[in-house]
Amino acid sequence: MSIDEKEVVTRAIKGDGEAFAQLYEEYFDKVYRYIYLRLREKAEVEDLAQEVFIKALEAIGSYRWRNLPFASWLFRIARNHMIDHLRKAGKVEKIDWDDNIAHVEGPNPARIAEQSLEIEELRGNVEQLSPAQRAVISLRFGGELSVDEVSKVLGKSPGTVKALQHSGIVALKKMMLVDR
Amino acid sequence: MSRKIKIEDILDNCLERLFKGESIEDCLRDYPWQASELEPLLKTSLALLQKSAAIQPNPEFKAKVGSQLQGMLRAKREKAEKKAMGPIWRRRWAVAMSTVLVVLLAGIGTVAASADALPDESLYAVKLATEQARIALAFSDTDRVELHIQFAERRATEIAEMARQGETGEIPALTERVANHLDKVHEAEKAQEFEEREPKMLAPAPAPVPGPAGKAWDYTEGGEPEEKLKTMLGESRARSLSVLQAALAKTPKGAKSSLEQAIRDVGQDYDEALSNLEN
Repeated sequence: MSIDEKEVVTRAIKGDGEAFAQLYEEYFDKVYRYIYLRLREKAEVEDLAQEVFIKALEAIGSYRWRNLPFASWLFRIARNHMIDHLRKAGKVEKIDWDDNIAHVEGPNPARIAEQSLEIEELRGNVEQLSPAQRAVISLRFGGELSVDEVSKVLGKSPGTVKALQHSGIVALKKMMLVDR
Repeated sequence: MSRKIKIEDILDNCLERLFKGESIEDCLRDYPWQASELEPLLKTSLALLQKSAAIQPNPEFKAKVGSQLQGMLRAKREKAEKKAMGPIWRRRWAVAMSTVLVVLLAGIGTVAASADALPDESLYAVKLATEQARIALAFSDTDRVELHIQFAERRATEIAEMARQGETGEIPALTERVANHLDKVHEAEKAQEFEEREPKMLAPAPAPVPGPAGKAWDYTEGGEPEEKLKTMLGESRARSLSVLQAALAKTPKGAKSSLEQAIRDVGQDYDEALSNLEN
């Protein structure tokens, strides 16, 4: 976290509306992208993004550094909220953190053909990753978090995150056919 | 440069550089022996970055949520300002009296039934209100300290229960509540010196706060109060962490990482509270 951001977060903790607005501007799109990469319906994504910031607003007064960067704190709220949402919708994910092997050996032509838009294709590809890879890739590329920040959101070591990032990108390479 | 660096580390280093605007070629130049493996991965990453960046929320929706949050902040500030008016004892009485009113309206049975309520249950608000009343009506800061420690432990038990049920959404908020109770331990302990000089505003003294084994806590009896408090906090830490650790085995896989994080946070909060006592 930069010194400037620390100062903004400190002011937001004290109830400074302008500081919270700055954090909102900085993180809303990232949280939105992170959620977007995990869910299908736009309305669902919007609802969740909104609820994440309402939860953050309610809890920010009690946020403490604890070696936990603000971004990790915020995305932990987002992740927990999304897990609850998925569970309530009956889409429980079982995450095997040791699972570094790509589940997908190649693109699913039928599925990709259906997804004409590039973003939809991206979401479709991310969806085909293993849950552990998906958790890392969506935080890293959607949320733009560093490996250290991702490791604090997920409670996993940076080494595990890097391994999942690598295997996730290898799997996506096969799906996205960048080399074609 | 060492060729023993793992591909995962090289990829991550290059990704950070891509995030900062460097080109794929810049990175490949530094790792020529890995270039053939690295290049397609970096191309994929760059495509992933570009496609992710194209995901944008609707600006009208974003503005609407922004102003909703500002409205909530204003309301929060106004509430805090109102709360800040008047001396502490009056505020405590106000909290206590309004809670007594809630309790009377809800009924004694409801209050009793709320004792085991969890955050996702409607009676949980009654449970918290009852706790607030007990804190507000506490005779001394010593009693308040004991209550805060007791309630910090309750929150830890609730975290364990929520995790067992696979309900992770409330865990961060509960962890924060543990931290808040432990912060208050320090504040109340500091206020004790002041209290000794001030006439007692609240009377009569409530019954001693029961410890977890039904035994009354009294850290002022025998030995230095600060030492007693440290012991009490240390014992509370051990009990809270033991409850949380025990829950790990019964927690569904998807909720385990949230519980593990809570264990780390709660441990750290207790450590901070203990170190605050020493400073």
